[in-house]
Amino acid sequence: MTNKESVLRIEDMTKRYGQKDVLKDASLTVDEGQLKILIGPSGGGKSTLLQCINFLVTPDQGRVWLRGEEIIRSRKRDLYTYRQKVGMIFQDFNLFDHLTALENVKIGLLQVKKMSKKNAQDKAVYELDRVGLKDHMYKYPAQLSGGQKQRVSIARALAMDPDVMLLDEPTSALDPELISEVLSVIKDLRAHGMTMVMSTHHMGFAREVADEIVFLEDGVIIETGTPEKIFTAPECDRTREFCSKILELYGS
Amino acid sequence: MEELFFIQHEVMPALLRGLLISVELIIPSALCGIVIGVVVGVLRVFGHPLVVRLANTYVLIFRGFPLVVQLFIWYFGLPHLGIYLSPFVASVVGFSLCSGAYHSEYVRGALLSIKRGQLLAAQSLGFTKLQMIFSVVLPQAFRRALPGCGNEIIYLIKYSSLAYMITCIELTGEGKIIASETFKYTEIFLIVGAVYLVLTTIASWMLRRVENRLRLPGFDHYAM
Repeated sequence: MTNKESVLRIEDMTKRYGQKDVLKDASLTVDEGQLKILIGPSGGGKSTLLQCINFLVTPDQGRVWLRGEEIIRSRKRDLYTYRQKVGMIFQDFNLFDHLTALENVKIGLLQVKKMSKKNAQDKAVYELDRVGLKDHMYKYPAQLSGGQKQRVSIARALAMDPDVMLLDEPTSALDPELISEVLSVIKDLRAHGMTMVMSTHHMGFAREVADEIVFLEDGVIIETGTPEKIFTAPECDRTREFCSKILELYGS
Repeated sequence: MEELFFIQHEVMPALLRGLLISVELIIPSALCGIVIGVVVGVLRVFGHPLVVRLANTYVLIFRGFPLVVQLFIWYFGLPHLGIYLSPFVASVVGFSLCSGAYHSEYVRGALLSIKRGQLLAAQSLGFTKLQMIFSVVLPQAFRRALPGCGNEIIYLIKYSSLAYMITCIELTGEGKIIASETFKYTEIFLIVGAVYLVLTTIASWMLRRVENRLRLPGFDHYAM
């Protein structure tokens, strides 16, 4: 059952709020270099699934393995080490407002990785350069556009050298003309072999770059497949209905 | 002429002596108050439920008891338990604990104003709770709490005048002694009041400087 190649594996992830199952027995295996895209209606459990993966939300049930090693979240040390290896990108960026772009990227290296100041500086500048923001590194979040903020947050996650990145609708809080700058960074990451799980409503993007698409509704994984299959010949009526509606709305 | 001589040789030295004691009371009380306020505020927001209850009880008591009563307890009450504090120490302890309770409320409000997303981001980078509090939450919360905490320090300057009630003769105490010796209540207390006004003015000016110093883009709410 255990796939030697898999970077991240989750099994039977369940989260309940009161009586409602917001996530029900979700299982997922992400292979090295794979980009998995979660689609589905809002409130369908995409964010909850992503946040359960690194235990920002505590699942009621479910197990997680990173490179074959199970994460026991009650062991705090292990949990913190695990989170360093799982980069997370949020819908609303969540940059630290009191720090410049550069300091935002550096702080994890200094505090968590205990890097020397010099190394942290070099690494942070390198990562900001990679997302095209070297010229803006001394600006505070309040002085950056949405797209720039999201790119800083990507640089911040990348600086930790994660094994896998989780992206929770990284473009949904952005103005339309800023979306492409973030998507192109993600495409670039993919080209460099970064393993990623991403939720999005951009079907065109999903179709173009995803290795696999996971359709999630009411907390249940309804269908999984290649973009080809999901967009042209889905097994489930519900998947077809959702995809056609979204495609109609946004085009492909 | 006689009047001027009297002011110069009797009133001024006494008031100056009092002023010195007042300042000696205010500075350590303000600093201890802030430290207590930050610690208690953090515990009330991030602490274990049991600690939260304990901290809330502290605030309830120290905001609820009149300050004079608190000072009486420190000075006249503790000796019953075999603990003797000098008037000065009892005053500083009383002021610090009372001030800390008020500060903790400002700090708590500021902590709660930090967006939850930033906490999630810190956690997702692998921060421990303590690292998150010290490097993400407090630097922002402190900036937000500063106007409120400054207000509390201004208050402290004025309620330091209660120290004379437990025989720590500071500015107000000296004023009262001279006034009752000379029956020049109005004149003396006008001067005493003016000195407090000067103290609070200096304090506001310093607090404003600190605020400006710590100002960052995105935290200057009044730049509308």
